[in-house]
Amino acid sequence: MQTKIKTILAIFILFVSASSCDNYLDLKPQDGIVRAEFWKTKEDIQAAVIGIYSSMLNSPPGVSDDFNMTEYLFMYGELRGDMLGAGGNVTDEQRDIMNTNIIAANGITDWSAFYRTINYCNTVIDLAPAVKGLDPTLTQTQLNNYLSEALAIRAYLYFTLARTFKDVPLKLTATLSDKDNFQIPTSTQSEIFAQVIKDLKLAEEYSVEDYGNNASNKGRITTYAINAMLADVYLWTDKYQEALDCTNKIIDSGRFGLISNVSGNSWFNTVYAKGNSSESIFEFQYTTENLPPFYSIFYQRPQFIASSDALEDFFGVDTANPSNRDIRGEQASIITGTNLIHKFVGFDNTSIKALQSSDTHWFVYRYADVLLMKAEASALLQQGQAAIDIIKEIRLARKAISLTVEDVGSEDTAGIISYILRERGREFAFEGKRWFDILRIARRNNYERLDILLDAAITSAPPQQQQSIKAKLKDPNSHYLPINTFVLYTNKALVQNPFYK
Amino acid sequence: MKRLLRLPALLRLTLLFLITLVFQNCSQQKIKETTDETLNITDYLRANPDYSMFVEILDITNYASFMNTYGTYTIFVPTNDAVKEYLNDIGATSLNQVPLADLQNIAKLHILDQKIETTSFTDGKIATPSMYGQYLITGATNVDGVSSVTVNKTASIVASNLEVGNGVIHVISKVLRIADKTLAQTIEANPNLSLFTETLKATGWFSILNQPIPANSTNINDYLTVLAQTNDVFHKAGFDNLDQLKARYSHLHNPLDPKDSLNLFVAYRILPRLQYLADISVSPALVTKAPLEVISTKLDGEKILLNEDTFNGILEKGVEVNRGSSDITASNGVLHYVDGNFAIKKRLPAPVYFEFTDIAEFRRLTSIWRKPAGGYQTLFIGDAGIDVTWDAKASDASAYLAYNKAADGTSITSGIAGCWNADVCEIFRFRDANAQNVKFTTPVIIKGKYKIWISYRQQGTKLGNVKVFFDGVELPRQINLMEGGNTDTAGTPETVLESQGYKRYATPWSNRVNCRLVGVVDVPTTARHTLTLQSQGNFGAQSWFDIAEFRPVEMNQLWPKFTAGRGTLVYQ
Repeated sequence: MQTKIKTILAIFILFVSASSCDNYLDLKPQDGIVRAEFWKTKEDIQAAVIGIYSSMLNSPPGVSDDFNMTEYLFMYGELRGDMLGAGGNVTDEQRDIMNTNIIAANGITDWSAFYRTINYCNTVIDLAPAVKGLDPTLTQTQLNNYLSEALAIRAYLYFTLARTFKDVPLKLTATLSDKDNFQIPTSTQSEIFAQVIKDLKLAEEYSVEDYGNNASNKGRITTYAINAMLADVYLWTDKYQEALDCTNKIIDSGRFGLISNVSGNSWFNTVYAKGNSSESIFEFQYTTENLPPFYSIFYQRPQFIASSDALEDFFGVDTANPSNRDIRGEQASIITGTNLIHKFVGFDNTSIKALQSSDTHWFVYRYADVLLMKAEASALLQQGQAAIDIIKEIRLARKAISLTVEDVGSEDTAGIISYILRERGREFAFEGKRWFDILRIARRNNYERLDILLDAAITSAPPQQQQSIKAKLKDPNSHYLPINTFVLYTNKALVQNPFYK
Repeated sequence: MKRLLRLPALLRLTLLFLITLVFQNCSQQKIKETTDETLNITDYLRANPDYSMFVEILDITNYASFMNTYGTYTIFVPTNDAVKEYLNDIGATSLNQVPLADLQNIAKLHILDQKIETTSFTDGKIATPSMYGQYLITGATNVDGVSSVTVNKTASIVASNLEVGNGVIHVISKVLRIADKTLAQTIEANPNLSLFTETLKATGWFSILNQPIPANSTNINDYLTVLAQTNDVFHKAGFDNLDQLKARYSHLHNPLDPKDSLNLFVAYRILPRLQYLADISVSPALVTKAPLEVISTKLDGEKILLNEDTFNGILEKGVEVNRGSSDITASNGVLHYVDGNFAIKKRLPAPVYFEFTDIAEFRRLTSIWRKPAGGYQTLFIGDAGIDVTWDAKASDASAYLAYNKAADGTSITSGIAGCWNADVCEIFRFRDANAQNVKFTTPVIIKGKYKIWISYRQQGTKLGNVKVFFDGVELPRQINLMEGGNTDTAGTPETVLESQGYKRYATPWSNRVNCRLVGVVDVPTTARHTLTLQSQGNFGAQSWFDIAEFRPVEMNQLWPKFTAGRGTLVYQ
């Protein structure tokens, strides 16, 4: 009897201790699909490509970035510019960047959102071609179209990173396992620009002109979006003739135009509040189901407002006749008095969208951008009159007031470029372009126009830090953000920008 | 053993298995006893051979163990090369040859007892003085296209914001030197200032500028600021020697007489307190040692202009401060240069919006003062005495003032967020027997007639009436701290409220705050004055004060208003 009990006890103990030590349980993830089951059909590719776009609108599920891509694009393009002011809810880190008080520990310098989306692009570029063999209904053209979207978005993100951080690591293959090499050193800014141009050219070859519906034409990469990006990169790399050619391709297509002869109210509502207008080339397609961050950061708990002088300095105020105003200024970009940024939250000139319907898009390229890039390229190719004519055309459509007219001769290249810069300030106020515009123009010809950048910094600097800011900005390395401390910690191959010692 | 072998095979197996398990689990476990392995300053420096010479200084002076204790310090660590250069300068070959007292002073000059990161550096002094007592100044320079942040103008930062357990380390390229010359000596040493020196001597100001500050004082009120003119500037204005200056200015023919115009001419260039250019650029008016006279300042782009004012519609050109050569630290103050000759000017009354929280005692709370996140810090009588004081006993821990700031963006009807800058000066136990009279020193008020408005955050219970005194003279109206703001929807015009001595001073407006006209005063002198709040009650709740407005009587009393929760003004 006793032996029997002992035996049972022994078997029981053995069973319990042996089974608890085993780990044969092997589960598949419950909230995702493994790679072995994906990349089978063309629908899979389409899903992956749309996933790239959606990762730029809001952080993907399971990811908790501090900001989403739109916010980073806004902050990288505007924080260091001269049109933005600090709102009541601005964080210390945002304020530090605005005041050129930047250290590597600043969380805004985290670029992981960019490299995540770049990896999504890389995954499509690496894995999509193999689907061709599995899904006979996938044509080569369709495959190429998808590849063009991934290539162009990757190029745009690298372009933004190189404009923001100067030298960044270049990774062109998908990260598929933990065994990949993550210790990648930086490539120089010019190498990145060269790769961006190469990718965009290939993307253009593969690209789609028309998806057959307006939302896709404005919300996905088309031949025209690619050409707009190319023109932009060419202006950064001093290839003006190429830039001019790219802008002409878009203009000559006849698909776009400036909306003129309408009231300021209806123009604002069409272009910004509704979006996807005939002035638009590429926009992030926010919807009421997938809301942008704007309502919160500009209106509800404003982190950013327009700087106190922005309205008067850029758009001008006609004190004699208040109704004579630039349709881009008062009540369009900026609300007078409170200096709220109206562009992304307004429904029309006088009303603001409700929270649940605040779905204004993020505008990556608009037709006016193409026109002004053409003007810039023309001016630099000594075709000053063509540049002046373009500025006039835009000013006419936007009812710009006579206070902001500048009388420059067609031979005065520097004058025309300054005029274009100010016109771009009016046209693209708060669209994430200001700092890049200032930097692009200042750095040309070995920082020939550094004065533009310094002047812009002085106007927005706090008085007690002005001199330090000016001295700092005389160092070209200070025009780029540092590599984040945490990133430096994890990737030992990176070397910090020497300004941030 | 035999018995063991006799056990059935199964049991033997089980036993063996259990024994292995037991042995495995009995192995010594390493328990980590510390929660944090971050090094403190001294250990961090010891671990890095680049800083060995500064560590030697800390060892010799016996500060090494002190810098390893917990706290919040900022330490500027010169590299070994910098220390060698310092030794070279003073002609020593090793640190042991340097007198201990000198080394101690040098070490103390490199240490601040607050954690200051480079993001809070300005063009002027660091708000916290060094342990030695002298303030350090920060800035940035560009040499051959490479910019760096500088400390005391000469040392540039090589590595910054190294976080350690008890503070932050900045590595610098030069040893910071103590300013050992007084203002008078600094001025005399510069041959370009010979006429200025002569004038100082003739008027008796030289000896005043030669007085050292009280030992170990870190109070900025003990320092002086001098606006000097070079011989060149004098020459352009037509003065080449002292006699010409005497002939032009000395109307009593006795420059030593404080009433003599030449004496006033010099006194007008000497400012009380330690004011670097960064401080001057943000203060609208500077008090001078010339009785009742102030210098107005204006920042135009990056130029600091003195006495540039529009008077009766005519712009009077000011003189510019020479930024490049200014900000020279002396042991008892700071020296600036101006690019032109300037004389005393008459001033018209101008409004002063004195926020009760804008006092030196609160401004040094650098981590929370006007910071977006807000915060709360009490101030006891022992730490006060610069811009505010009150009649509590030092032992009375329950009577205190506090800086109280709501986080930016808090709804204006919640707590104190409806006040200007979302902060208030909180007085706890504002009552008899605790803190009954709270006396503030105002900013400079220009001579003239002013209306005084006091605004506050209302509370419904346990508060009483407050009497207000200006320079010790009681003002006619008392404030009832329980009275909320008027949000009358019938639309009483503000001018009617104004005639009753109320106004909606903040915008957007809520009934949580209120503003009361307490009286009209004739300010006799252009200077800093005192404003005393005297409690008439014996209640215990916190009283919250926002702004004291001094508006010239002829000015619009309603506009500009103050943005609730932010630091801006709103014009009509």
